[in-house]
Amino acid sequence: MSTMTINLKVWRQKNRNDSGHFEDYTVEDVNEHMSFLEMLDVLNEKLIKEHIDPIEFDYDCREGICGSCNLVINGVAHGPKHKTATCQLHMRNYKDGDTIVIEPPRSAAFPVIKDLVVDRSAFDRIIAAGGYISVKTGSAPEANLIPVPQDVSNTAFDYATCIGCGACVAACPNSSAALFTGAKLAHLNRLPQGKPERDKRTIAMVNQMEIEGFGDCSNHGECEAVCPVGISISAIAEMRRSYMKAVF
Amino acid sequence: MKLDPKVPEGPLENKWSDHLRDIKLVAPNNKRKYNIIVVGTGLAGASAASSLAELGYNVQTFSIQDSARRAHSIAAQGGINAAKNYPNDGDSVWRLFYDTIKGGDYRAREANVYRLAQNSNLIIDQAVAQGVPFGRDYGGLLDNRSFGGAQVSRTFYSRGQTGQQLLLGAYQAMMKEVNSGKIQDYPRQEMLDLVVIDGKARGIITRDLVSGEIQKWNADAVVLCTGGYGNVFYLSTNAKNSNVTAAWRCHKRGAAFANPCFVQIHPTCIPVSGDYQSKLTLMSESLRNDGRVWVPRKKGDNRPPSEIPEDERYYYLEEKYPSFGNLVPRDVASRNAKMVTDQGLGVGPTGLAVYLDFRDAIKRDGKAVIEAKYGNLFAMYENITDDNPYETPMRIFPAVHYTMGGLWVDYNLMSNIPGLFVAGEANFSDHGANRLGASALMQGLSDGYFIIPYTIGNYLAGETLEPVSTSHEAFSEAAKTSSDQLDRLLAVKGDKTIIEFHRELGKIMWNKVGISRNREGLESAINEIRALREEFWENVRVPGEKNYYNKYLEFANRVADYFELAELMAMDALQREESCGCHLRDEYQTEEGEALRNDEEFSFVAVWEYLNVNGKLETRMHKEPLEFEFVELQQRSYK
Amino acid sequence: MPSITDALLSQVGRKILSGLTGLFLLFFVIFHLIGNLAIFGSPDAMNAYSMMLHDFGPLLWVARIGLVIIFVVHAWVGIAIWLRKRKARPQDYKVYSSKGDPSRQSLSSRSMAFTGVILIIFVILHVNTFALGDTGDVVLDGRTTHDIKTLVVDTFQDPVYAFGYAIAMVLLGTHLGHGIWSAFVSLGMSSRKVSAVVYTVGVAAAVLLAIGFLFIPLYIYFGGGCDAALINCN
Repeated sequence: MSTMTINLKVWRQKNRNDSGHFEDYTVEDVNEHMSFLEMLDVLNEKLIKEHIDPIEFDYDCREGICGSCNLVINGVAHGPKHKTATCQLHMRNYKDGDTIVIEPPRSAAFPVIKDLVVDRSAFDRIIAAGGYISVKTGSAPEANLIPVPQDVSNTAFDYATCIGCGACVAACPNSSAALFTGAKLAHLNRLPQGKPERDKRTIAMVNQMEIEGFGDCSNHGECEAVCPVGISISAIAEMRRSYMKAVF
Repeated sequence: MKLDPKVPEGPLENKWSDHLRDIKLVAPNNKRKYNIIVVGTGLAGASAASSLAELGYNVQTFSIQDSARRAHSIAAQGGINAAKNYPNDGDSVWRLFYDTIKGGDYRAREANVYRLAQNSNLIIDQAVAQGVPFGRDYGGLLDNRSFGGAQVSRTFYSRGQTGQQLLLGAYQAMMKEVNSGKIQDYPRQEMLDLVVIDGKARGIITRDLVSGEIQKWNADAVVLCTGGYGNVFYLSTNAKNSNVTAAWRCHKRGAAFANPCFVQIHPTCIPVSGDYQSKLTLMSESLRNDGRVWVPRKKGDNRPPSEIPEDERYYYLEEKYPSFGNLVPRDVASRNAKMVTDQGLGVGPTGLAVYLDFRDAIKRDGKAVIEAKYGNLFAMYENITDDNPYETPMRIFPAVHYTMGGLWVDYNLMSNIPGLFVAGEANFSDHGANRLGASALMQGLSDGYFIIPYTIGNYLAGETLEPVSTSHEAFSEAAKTSSDQLDRLLAVKGDKTIIEFHRELGKIMWNKVGISRNREGLESAINEIRALREEFWENVRVPGEKNYYNKYLEFANRVADYFELAELMAMDALQREESCGCHLRDEYQTEEGEALRNDEEFSFVAVWEYLNVNGKLETRMHKEPLEFEFVELQQRSYK
Repeated sequence: MPSITDALLSQVGRKILSGLTGLFLLFFVIFHLIGNLAIFGSPDAMNAYSMMLHDFGPLLWVARIGLVIIFVVHAWVGIAIWLRKRKARPQDYKVYSSKGDPSRQSLSSRSMAFTGVILIIFVILHVNTFALGDTGDVVLDGRTTHDIKTLVVDTFQDPVYAFGYAIAMVLLGTHLGHGIWSAFVSLGMSSRKVSAVVYTVGVAAAVLLAIGFLFIPLYIYFGGGCDAALINCN
């Protein structure tokens, strides 16, 4: 089993108002089987022993589904591996002596809390604006009353797998949240259960994106490339169609 | 301590409907006068919060993640059970109830489990109406798959992401109420204490994880949905932030803790690769449908698996359990993996793994068929281990997965502290000594959507609650206790990191309070835990300060609670002198080495009352007897 | 329900406006190129084409004003999107790179604002040179009309004009390389198969248009104006 020495340039920022800067670190004895976040754990253990404040970064499930982790690694959200969240990226993708630059997602709508931790509550507010089907507990009809064609259901699922990590915003040259918003719309708008609220939902969620300060989508398609679950930018085109239908 | 389970009288199938007929209601215009706090926004929390808000209560939700949507329910893979009987294979509420109570090795309350089975169908209706994209057949109707511990297909699924889809459904319902103004949502807040006034739960203390500020919140009822405590083992399939602190602090305020030693250890996880490892990843149980589990017959056989001839391979599950083979329940599979590795037959660099081999399945069905079934799992395995499971067997090992124990609750899901309700994995209620696959999602949502919203009304309507404000001294006292503990942790300024302590604690727990337990091991575990706890408070290094975002301070605070819980788990395992479900005591086995229950003496819920921690955990055990009126107790056998 | 104006000014509305006006301008550019190719026709072809357009009289002015409005809207939306993007990411990454396929990010997509602004300047100069420029008169079918052809041939003997135009046309091609496909996506094209085809066709069209446009000035310049083989100056 080979071990490596990895050089890091990590963004350090005390709080929202601090201007922030890069710090250099060296991590020795990096094992190829380590995950990227475990490599940072090892660095933090060392920093704690040296009485230096450890690097803060978000994570929780460490199996690629909760969407907490969202590092921008060498300028790419979630690093070099496709359809992989940062927590599932392993150090075997790097080699001895590599220098890795780690930054937080940079977006006005995602203010930095500390170091690499950002506030993504804007996403919650986009969902709150209309990302649901209004059905009160207890008022649901028998589940098999409404058949949903298998392909419709499968496509809805594909869009529903969004983990809300914000990589799409991080990677978008315009900081647009169109893929996140579009994915939820593409999930709910195509289901028969979601039809009654389709217009209202679409307008409200599009409007909320604007309020939160996300940029416009210029169809770079970078969001799809960095998406850890590979959500297609078709969601964005569908969102525009839904919007046109709703308004005109 | 008064422990009244409040199970309604009458026939099993009528208990819940009779109870609903009898419970008191809060008038619609009065509901808005009540404040309810929901802690945790997983399946139980999000579903309870949205349902309560829809009824008109003012709800405040708290989660430690940066968004309610990230609670660990999101990681559940396989599915959710319901007794719809869509496949027409003879399923019924009774059968789901029976399988669940048997799967739990007869250590759960009959009435609770029956209600769970009754609610299961409502959950599917609710989720479908919310737009949860369950798997469907060509006709557009809902599809089912089969799962462990059942002879019918009753599991609804969204590919391998059922938990995610159900949680997003509940989260979206919750966000709908945030939009309507009935829910105030507070992410990045950790509950540090329960405020009890006049014997009733009247609020909580939290730490704002961003500013570090200690905050006080008053309410008329508190619903705790904070999940399980598997992370006491350090390595588990739980998310890194999953913890016991909220539940444990309630315990210290008087809430009883039930069956703490019941921990489910899942047999098919990716093994540990090194000391740096931070968590274990589950591989779906479904792999055992086609994979064959084996180890080399010879100790220390270092040959690559492909070079080990057939007659030198020990297919131990197939040999020992010819009728169930590789498909024995989770506890049996885990226990046997430990047995063979204890004998020195384990494989891989650490010797703590067994093979799960698809060679024969690929030979039989072709690579394409296996890829269609398990492609995503194989890819995940390869991504983590860099081994290609199509060519070389997977290496797997058991890992801590779920905790059946939790805070004690009555039939209304209320703890012994009036006004403190507990739902989901955080309570002990429905799974006995072992949980069946696809039942955790069912229980979390049954509790949140279809039980708490009724029973909380019953409580509120039946109590006269004096208004309290956060200026009450009980709030100041609790806030000070929370704040002082943080100061104490920061003041130690020792040499060992929190993770070093946690890892050591985890090793004690895994070795002595893990897959199999015995008196000697448990007694020494208790001593080791106490010694390590003492060392922790003298030598831990907690970095930074408390007045800003400081994840390691959060961890330190949680690990401090694990040290106390760990001792309780060992004590609970020690007193239960029988084997049942996940709890295997080496001293109590059948001649064939299977779990041997002692229904005469141990057919009870062990309910622990906290007294103090003073060098050792001072505690008192109470018993809630389990009576089985409707099912006959049998020894489980999978031979 | 938002008003039509609010809807058009929303994030989605802006892209719809940009896509619609972009496609309109694309069609204009295609017709413009076809018209330009008249320079290789008979000696009078280009001036005859010009005269035909002038014969539309007031209608020509309506078309011109319409074109200006569409151009202004397209430019304004583009600039608004660019300004908003700057606000949406006040601090840039130290390192930034594309993750590669299936990303459509390219030099073309990243330079839309830059190429767009240059094209605005170009269009102003271009209109000033040709539409408002001094032309001599020529008699065609017994009627006096503008001798646009001589102006074109003379102008492109100047290397500054010839190469300036050629560079501007490369930028136009760059703009259209992303722009054609992007316009369709902005208007709701979601099918992955169709999208892949449109992308390829869009890039090919952009290249052809750019080559078509820049061929004329360079050919005139290197061919020596009226001495060039394909230019028929009488």
